[in-house]
Amino acid sequence: MSGLSLSAIAMLIFGIVVLYGGLAYFLYRAMKSQKK
Amino acid sequence: MSRGSPPTAFAKVVGKKWEWAGWFTVFTPFLVAAYYTVVIAWCFCYMIYSLDLRWGANAEGFFFNNFLGLTSGPEILGGIRVPILIALIMLWFFIFLILYKGVGRIGKVVTILVPLSTIFLVIMVIRGLTLPGAIGGINYYLTPNFSALLNYEVWLAAYAQVFFSLSLAQGIMITYAAFLPKKSDISNNAFITALSDAGTSFFAAFAVFSIVGYLAYSKATSIENLGIVGPQLTFVTYPTGILLLPVAAAAFGIIFYIALQMVGITSAFSMVEPISSSVNMKWGISKTKATAIVCIIGFFASLIFATGSGMYWLQILDHFVADFALVIIGLIECVVLGYIYKLYRLRQHANDVSDFRIGRWWDLLIKFVTPAILIFVLSFAFYETIRAPYMGFPVWAILVGGVIPVIAIILLSFVFMKIKGKEIEA
Repeated sequence: MSGLSLSAIAMLIFGIVVLYGGLAYFLYRAMKSQKK
Repeated sequence: MSRGSPPTAFAKVVGKKWEWAGWFTVFTPFLVAAYYTVVIAWCFCYMIYSLDLRWGANAEGFFFNNFLGLTSGPEILGGIRVPILIALIMLWFFIFLILYKGVGRIGKVVTILVPLSTIFLVIMVIRGLTLPGAIGGINYYLTPNFSALLNYEVWLAAYAQVFFSLSLAQGIMITYAAFLPKKSDISNNAFITALSDAGTSFFAAFAVFSIVGYLAYSKATSIENLGIVGPQLTFVTYPTGILLLPVAAAAFGIIFYIALQMVGITSAFSMVEPISSSVNMKWGISKTKATAIVCIIGFFASLIFATGSGMYWLQILDHFVADFALVIIGLIECVVLGYIYKLYRLRQHANDVSDFRIGRWWDLLIKFVTPAILIFVLSFAFYETIRAPYMGFPVWAILVGGVIPVIAIILLSFVFMKIKGKEIEA
């Protein structure tokens, strides 16, 4: 096994974008509203 | 909105006659805590065993025979396992120490345990990914099998997992919410909680599957041939993988089981806090006394799972709590909020204090989608239970270990509602 398969890479990117992107977005909104 | 424990919240917000539903939501996680603490106790013992990798080449035999002393069936108790008993005493005492002064101490403990367990997780992922064969495990983990989406059992399992992982329908969120500042951003907190939970699980799986991949590589076998479900994964497959590590195997084992304990303990005290707070708030019993009573009862309840047949009783009770009690509570909460209480008021309250506005889609979820799925889950579980005894256990064991405890906590909920109290606020 040399590396990750294309579909595994696609799921990895999907997971990172949805979960951590979403988390970053809501944390950003929380910090922004706290500043107001 | 109610700023009270779950029973108080149901009584105040929905109506006095619904207080029992609040008690049902706090008894259920307490029932879970009774066996959940035993699994944490196993982790404690395995942390000690990691020092000399005591399970040796036969991790399966060590776990089931030497450690659990598993008997041939639930009817043979087999006596209490002393290492598990000692770990349980320490664990329940630790839970008492965290809870007896109120939720303030929970916040302090969590701010230490959560970052620490995350650091341990990062160490495990890095170590796992640098092992030969790890990539095979990651491929196994991440390669999608889209045909599984057509299997309704996968959806049911996923739904149950999310329900359990987010501690929904366990009174935990209602209890913690009672102590939040009045203007807390509800919607944003909900999204952050859900995404952090899923994000941590997504990341933690890299630690698990990299080791599983390494184990498959070392044994020149496929991952399908390794046990990667339930306790088998944590106490048989993973220890086998740890044993094969080229360097610092003991240190890795210790870190792994400490991390599991930390994650487990933060969940365990959140399962005990709702009932402790509810007793404290309803009858004005001091928090110290209420917590002590609850922890002592919890300790004695968990002893059955520390016996040689404990694994059987754990499997039976877990099935009935996860597939029946939690689903019933979720259904009751949806029906009560969606059809008895004016749901838009709850959404309006959330929108008033939140940066992110929730639309009417949320009402549709609570009124129709979630109840429909829960009814389906419940019907399926009911059908499966009637079709054949769960995991082939004798009917009497299923009644004693699963059906009666769930019915008992429902009845007890009505009894607790009827006993007069002197409600105090958080």
